[in-house]
Amino acid sequence: MTKTGLGQFKILDISTGISGPFAARMFGDYGSEVIKIESPQLGDPARRLGPFHHDDPHPEKSLTYFYLNSNKKGITLNLETAEGRQIFKDLIKSSDGLIESFGPGYLDSLGLSYGEIEQINPKIVVTKISPFGENGPYRDFQGNDLLYQAMSGIMYSSGAYHREPLKHGHPQTLWMAGIIAAYAASAGLFTAQRSGQGQYIDLSTAESAAAHHYTSPVRYIYNGFIERRAPKNESGSTKGVKFEGIVPAKDGYMGPTFQWGRQRGNYKDYVTLLDRPEIDDPRFASEADRQQHLEELDTILMPILEEMPKFEYFNKAMGDGWVAAIVQTSEDLVNCPQLDERAYFTEVEHPVIGSTKIPGEVFRLPKAPWSVRGAAPTHGQHNHEVYGELGYSSDEVVTLRKQGTI
Amino acid sequence: MSGALEGIRVIDSTTMVAMPTALHIMADMGAEVIKVDSHTLFRGEGGVFPENDPGERHWDRDGSFNTLQRGKVGVTLNLKEDDAVNAFKDIVRVSDVIIENNRSGTMDRLGLGYDALRAVKPDLIYLSNTGFGYTGPWRSYAGIGRMFELTCGLSQFAGYEGEGPRRVGISFFDQHVGWMAVFAVLAALHHRDTTGEGQWVDFAMYQIGVSTLGDAVMDYISNGRSGSSMGNRHKYLSPHGVYQCKGDDRWIAITTENDDQWEALVDQMGSPGWAQEEKFADPILRWHNQDELDQLIGDWTKDKDQADLAYQLQKTGVPAMAVMDGRDFALDPHIKEREFFERVTHQPETDIGTRLYFGRPWKMSKTPAYIRRPAPMLGEHNEYVFGDLLGIDQGEIAKMYETNVIGKDPINPGSAKPTNLTRQIEQGVGSTIDPDYRQKLGI
Repeated sequence: MTKTGLGQFKILDISTGISGPFAARMFGDYGSEVIKIESPQLGDPARRLGPFHHDDPHPEKSLTYFYLNSNKKGITLNLETAEGRQIFKDLIKSSDGLIESFGPGYLDSLGLSYGEIEQINPKIVVTKISPFGENGPYRDFQGNDLLYQAMSGIMYSSGAYHREPLKHGHPQTLWMAGIIAAYAASAGLFTAQRSGQGQYIDLSTAESAAAHHYTSPVRYIYNGFIERRAPKNESGSTKGVKFEGIVPAKDGYMGPTFQWGRQRGNYKDYVTLLDRPEIDDPRFASEADRQQHLEELDTILMPILEEMPKFEYFNKAMGDGWVAAIVQTSEDLVNCPQLDERAYFTEVEHPVIGSTKIPGEVFRLPKAPWSVRGAAPTHGQHNHEVYGELGYSSDEVVTLRKQGTI
Repeated sequence: MSGALEGIRVIDSTTMVAMPTALHIMADMGAEVIKVDSHTLFRGEGGVFPENDPGERHWDRDGSFNTLQRGKVGVTLNLKEDDAVNAFKDIVRVSDVIIENNRSGTMDRLGLGYDALRAVKPDLIYLSNTGFGYTGPWRSYAGIGRMFELTCGLSQFAGYEGEGPRRVGISFFDQHVGWMAVFAVLAALHHRDTTGEGQWVDFAMYQIGVSTLGDAVMDYISNGRSGSSMGNRHKYLSPHGVYQCKGDDRWIAITTENDDQWEALVDQMGSPGWAQEEKFADPILRWHNQDELDQLIGDWTKDKDQADLAYQLQKTGVPAMAVMDGRDFALDPHIKEREFFERVTHQPETDIGTRLYFGRPWKMSKTPAYIRRPAPMLGEHNEYVFGDLLGIDQGEIAKMYETNVIGKDPINPGSAKPTNLTRQIEQGVGSTIDPDYRQKLGI
């Protein structure tokens, strides 16, 4: 184990679900030793969260858990026992960071408040991820992805004009909070290395989503305008024309635009791109012209695009400097030539699932590189190793397990 | 108060949303972030203007710009001039980090690529943000935040049930990518502090987006399954959606994740007869009969106030939240008590006065972050950076102004018009204009 960069840190991950485990995994990916602590009974609820390998709802086969907890050592520990709390304090003594997502006040009620943790290890950085933060009238409210998307304004400005507000189908707010927790914890560690002083970080998942959707409040604060859902011209385009939303292609969906690099392109050039000189038309020459003839433009372009295979359009347009997108499916991503050439997928051996590919390198940091050193742990997989390092003999670890401490 | 990144100097050679986001967070944490702008390339465009008035210095008055550039020090450099390139290198000499988001090759052409800058600052951390990275068949493709929700695979899940995919929110991955850049720079700083080495970071938006869909990608690897849109519904929870409330376009989000929450909801609804029926007896039955269930819950919510109802439901343990618009959120009592928005008073020349800006979704107990200054006016800190920091004498700086190496007024300011807000409301982009927003916000 390298002791440079993030490799110098030992992180305790006692969080559950998506946000905290994703943050901790980022540390593990770039070299930290991450110890995942789970309850001896059921473990992280993410173990029961689909999708499952071969659709088998087995606690060691959750793919969500697998992805989020690779590069971690897994131990079990019961904080509700006195001995369990003592072991936790011993782990805190030798760690640099702790990521937790218990309900408000839970650790305090066990005598493990930040004040007490700080006494044991003043240099440790504690990152607490909660639904709405550690103060305020919603502190004890229930939180989940649907509610965060509702509160943040993501939903109010998404969907069709005449229909209900719409959320994103994948629980992105939870992943957002994970990235934010990772950088905030790392900033805490940065200053702890320099000053010797750790600290407590109070992170609100609802505010994470709001930090994402900052634009609606800006409009209100600057001139009282209240943003609503997509224009009446459907498909979620911001330009008032279907063409710049998500449109059908021959074999899926894509997002064509008149964006050429960082400027708006000319219609004549776009006609050349499509190789359809017969549709050149001065009515659409510039962006201002097009705004006067939105419906006519859709009528002409949509049938042409519907006949084009999405990758053919994407490669042609992007190769020529236009900005385009395609709605990639998971299948497309797994077979993507760009990800393949950048060695994005890595083969890893999982104790129960066997050998499989997992998504990989988030960014390229050549001198402290991303690596996958192990699949997600099975429940309590590293108890002997981690507790052994704390000085427990093999027999003592067995006793702790029989007592229900681990 | 000293911040976590106090003493770190960062060069911001970026545009758009993602990287400016990363950099304003670093500035909030106490790093000195020098935004290198240009007064020669400037194009006046639309914007979100105070009181919808572009004013005299419209380029300093856009709300989105001022949000993303807050806390930074601003200089101008016309990088077409050799003197500007040399001045840029002089800033690099006294900096720790540079972030740029030009198309691959642009910085090399300017003589500001990693090799050139490493020569003047050997332990420099240099992050290049592109759409797809510096290698691979898509390396030259343009990357703009709002396209990545499609290409990264997120849009396969977005849209009403039974329809094709649809856009959701604003440019979806810009913020993910900006936040991840803060993590990447910190990882490189940790490495530099332990080894003395700098490095170049190849930072691709595409890969970051895909990394937040790991479970979906693994579903294909293990099960051959791709995603589909299910509206606001959940794979196995019901109710899970939004329900209309009293008023125009007012909605509440409600879900129950277990039987206790379901029973609390039934209790709040006044234990209607239908809720006792066999078809809603357990989570699986509720999920299978969710069309009818959603209808019945909607009948109950439709004459209720969204905020009061959400509060009442949460107080009895039912997950619920008003579907908030920008005003609801800016004025929300919880958000107020959390001090999520910070008051920033702008330079008198901008005539913006005081505005609220969102802070950060976290609070650090020992090294508090806060917005240290308003977004810089164009070239506002030329004298500080070129004079105080680099020691260029006043005569020389005057010459830089004369030769247009630097400047404070855009050469081509364009013309900015007020936004036609009434037309936007007709188009459905907005619901209304609140004339009392300043009073309600206390600004």
